[in-house]
Amino acid sequence: MAITFKSLSYIYDKGTPFAHVALDKIDLSLEEGKVTALIGETGSGKSTLVEHLNALLLPSEGELEILDYKMVAGHKTKGLKMLRKKVGLVFQFSEYQLFEETILKDVAFGPMNFGVTPEEAQKKAVKALKLVGISEDLFNNSPLDLSGGQKRRVAIAGILAIEPDIIVLDEPTAGLDPKGAQDIISLFMKINRQYGKTIIIVSHDNDMVYNYADEVVLMSKGHVVTKKETVEFFDDDALLDEYGILRPQIVMFKKMLKDIGFKLKGENRTLEDLSKTIVKEVRR
Amino acid sequence: MNLVFGKYVPLNSVLHRVDPRSKIIALFVLLVAIFVPDSWWAYLALSLFCILLCALSKISAKTVLKTFKPLIFMMVFLLVINCLSIKTGDVLAEAFGFAVYSDAVFNTLKTVVRLLLMIIITTVLTATTKPLDLTLGIEYLLKPLRVVKFPVHEMAMMISIALRFIPTIIEETMRIMNAQKSRGVDFEEGSLKEKINAILSLIVPLFSVAFERAYELADAMEARGYVPGNARTRYKELKFGFIDAVYMLSAIAILAFSIFTKIYL
Repeated sequence: MAITFKSLSYIYDKGTPFAHVALDKIDLSLEEGKVTALIGETGSGKSTLVEHLNALLLPSEGELEILDYKMVAGHKTKGLKMLRKKVGLVFQFSEYQLFEETILKDVAFGPMNFGVTPEEAQKKAVKALKLVGISEDLFNNSPLDLSGGQKRRVAIAGILAIEPDIIVLDEPTAGLDPKGAQDIISLFMKINRQYGKTIIIVSHDNDMVYNYADEVVLMSKGHVVTKKETVEFFDDDALLDEYGILRPQIVMFKKMLKDIGFKLKGENRTLEDLSKTIVKEVRR
Repeated sequence: MNLVFGKYVPLNSVLHRVDPRSKIIALFVLLVAIFVPDSWWAYLALSLFCILLCALSKISAKTVLKTFKPLIFMMVFLLVINCLSIKTGDVLAEAFGFAVYSDAVFNTLKTVVRLLLMIIITTVLTATTKPLDLTLGIEYLLKPLRVVKFPVHEMAMMISIALRFIPTIIEETMRIMNAQKSRGVDFEEGSLKEKINAILSLIVPLFSVAFERAYELADAMEARGYVPGNARTRYKELKFGFIDAVYMLSAIAILAFSIFTKIYL
């Protein structure tokens, strides 16, 4: 297990009139090498949960284990900075974290903070920037002059350059156009498949979740409702209806096909797979 | 955030319902009342009044005590300075040829009491009045200044916008701080150079966000037809009622008592 939550609670402004329980006795474990989607309505505690993964928030109650690190409520854990090297967190609207004079410097900033030499950091930055598709002639421009989508890529490169084992994404595609969103998701899938990195992604886009995630964790009002395999999750009609979760378009389409007596083989999670299966079925 | 001083506490008390204008005037009246007298009788009366205010505002004693904490150092410092400089009154204690005089102690005590009372009454004002109501109150009270072409409304609008954006900017700061922490920035430790870099990584994005927000807000206000200086109606009209008068008059009564003790005691 890469990450294990043991009856973890988090309370904002504990002991004041503003106290607010954001996470209530969370029990959850996430495996290494998988793509896990975290879904739930606004205010369900997703972002609070995510901030624990990087020790930005420490548990108010209960405990949390990430890789070799263990955080117990009320105890001080050492080496949290190195935990942050292992768990990269890409925030919502991550473009607001850019500040250096040049794009290259900004991306190299992360690795250098974790003690890599400037030359090495530069190499890692170049690699990360190429991975996210920023062309080399932009490297010496100011990151603040880029378009929104490009800024987002540079910010993501800033995390990738740190080379974390676990990458946590808080709505990485919010506010991007469909093409930009698709590119970014494909990029993370590539990173997952090629480098075997664990990916945890907070998302409202169920189509995307259905296409790419191995597992889905549903949160509601500070609780984890369930953790299931993606296909199984979106087949559970009772659950989806109870929590008002929008079905992915492919799921609805498959349902319609089934209703008219069309038989489908396999999982058919992406549009490409589904169209291939349909063509095969029709030809037969 | 552990900041209590100056923070609004959302409770439902009599004081929360008092008109902000009455509370602002009472604040100034009480401030004068705190600085006028010398007599301990006046301070006793003022202290009782402050305790009554705290009770009425339903703010817990713990919260009030918390606001005192940062003052402890200053109080000790003041005591030391006073002991060294004031050489009148009776000798209270003597050691190694150095005497502590009663006036030094009493003077310090008086200053401390004044400071604490000041803090209590300002805390009571800010804790029971929403920042926007406070600005509204200030705007009403400054209205006469329009005669001399002072832009009262614009000022009030600026203050309310500034107040409105404090939590937003704090939130933004937290977010950027978290993002930079994830990139390995250590805001607590490190050499001077590292610290400067850490602060830079926070300030540059913060400025860029703040400017962006300012432009957006200006556009949004213009789109909704806001013209500075034009006559506007208000959703919330202030009404000066019975409790408001009682509140203000009791503050004035305390001031009167303070002046009385100054003259006759």
